[in-house]
Amino acid sequence: MLLAGVVIALAATALAALLHETRPPAAPHRVNVAISSRPQPPALTVEQERYATTLWAVHREVTPSAVAMSFAGIAYQTEGRNARELARRIEPLAKFFHDAEGRVRALSAPASLSETHERYIEAMALYARAAGEMLTFTEDGDARHLADAHRMGVTASEDLLRAGEVLWPGQYKPH
Amino acid sequence: MKTLALQMRLVAWTAVLSSALAFLAGTAAQAQEPVCSVWLIESSRFMKVPFGAFMPDRAFVPGSTNPQNSIPTVDLPVNVGVIKCGNELILYDTGWKQQEYLRMTGSEHWAPIGDQLRALGFNAADVTKVVIGHAHWDHAGQLSDLPNAVLYVQREELRAIEWALNYPEPHIRAINSDPGGCNRTPACGYMPLTMDEVYGKVLRGKAVVVDGDMEILPGVRIHAVFRAHTAGSQLLEVPTSIGKLVFGSDAFSSYEAIRDWMVANVQQTDSVQQFLAYEKCYKITGGYNNCVAAHEPLSYTDKYPITKNSWVALNGGRMAEIALAPGERSRKP
Repeated sequence: MLLAGVVIALAATALAALLHETRPPAAPHRVNVAISSRPQPPALTVEQERYATTLWAVHREVTPSAVAMSFAGIAYQTEGRNARELARRIEPLAKFFHDAEGRVRALSAPASLSETHERYIEAMALYARAAGEMLTFTEDGDARHLADAHRMGVTASEDLLRAGEVLWPGQYKPH
Repeated sequence: MKTLALQMRLVAWTAVLSSALAFLAGTAAQAQEPVCSVWLIESSRFMKVPFGAFMPDRAFVPGSTNPQNSIPTVDLPVNVGVIKCGNELILYDTGWKQQEYLRMTGSEHWAPIGDQLRALGFNAADVTKVVIGHAHWDHAGQLSDLPNAVLYVQREELRAIEWALNYPEPHIRAINSDPGGCNRTPACGYMPLTMDEVYGKVLRGKAVVVDGDMEILPGVRIHAVFRAHTAGSQLLEVPTSIGKLVFGSDAFSSYEAIRDWMVANVQQTDSVQQFLAYEKCYKITGGYNNCVAAHEPLSYTDKYPITKNSWVALNGGRMAEIALAPGERSRKP
């Protein structure tokens, strides 16, 4: 009786496994999730659009330069701590951000974007000061300059994003 | 002749004994290899992404009756792996940080990584290691919120970004996508704030720059898969009670792509290297079911079996309990 029961159970398991394995794969389907409820940012006016386009020409060079500053620091820490090499990398970036601050300051921003405009100028100034702190470190070796420079860089990068939220909300896509 | 026979017997016995010892040593090593517990958390979800932009083979074709081409858009989770091996708490990828300065309109479910870890009963300060599959902004964010974690990043990833930054053509060294910016060029998607955070880890002595493969804990191995998504992409092999898992970040963007051998989320990607990364997972885990994908739309459903033991956590975001080590309590509410 027990043996018969075991045989039946095994047969049922085998049948279930066979059915499971031979079942056609489920068709891929879209996951049902809530539709985005976040409000879309307001469209820019013609005047604002003109400013955004002009600033973009600067911005697309600012972002690689900001990343290059981080990489100068990374290279210093991970590739032999060569202060002269750090200075060689930072000097052109210090000049770039100093010049970028002047270029942005020279732009005429619509009144509605004055806050964004000022924020962008401040970000350029902060990057320039951060570069200056890193250069000071290459002269006196005081690591606090690097920590200060990093803090300034983070704040400037956040400000870049704040300006971008207004001017180019799609500047980063899912990667 | 007699001496020769004796020597042959000696060689044969040596071979037998060596094999037996090797077998025993292997078994012992396997027995000693710890088993980790694993959870998956949805850091956020990018909504309504055209399917063809994610997987070219699945591009929507109006009027098509082919189920492969009948879905216009998909919602892509950004998955973060939470791995507990003994006293070590490891994150694989860290998502991104949705703030007033980075709203990413069209994305949902984001919650701070610290809050998400707390929902699982962990503290952000207890995270000891972070392995980023690559350094794109949506996978390597929130590092400053994990103060004690040591970051593992491939030297090749850093080298390639820096190479691109020095490229003479401005559009090749572009970081931003829109308007009229980069798409798949080498530095695209490595936003300044993300790289500031990577540098912050390096500056504080909390970073390991990895050259190729590395075992970061017994049985927990980084596998370099260069150009499988970005120049310095890396996988993470994790031993668990359900077998070995391999986390892939965007080298494994889609579970369906790994299963059906299709490219997915082609950014700075060599498609052959992406397939080789898939193959690595097949070899390590014995199939495709234990390959953990970063953006699989079917995540947290029974269509992606390893993630099906899931629940809704913060802000509508999902979590899944994938495997528990012996003695580890369930974190599922």
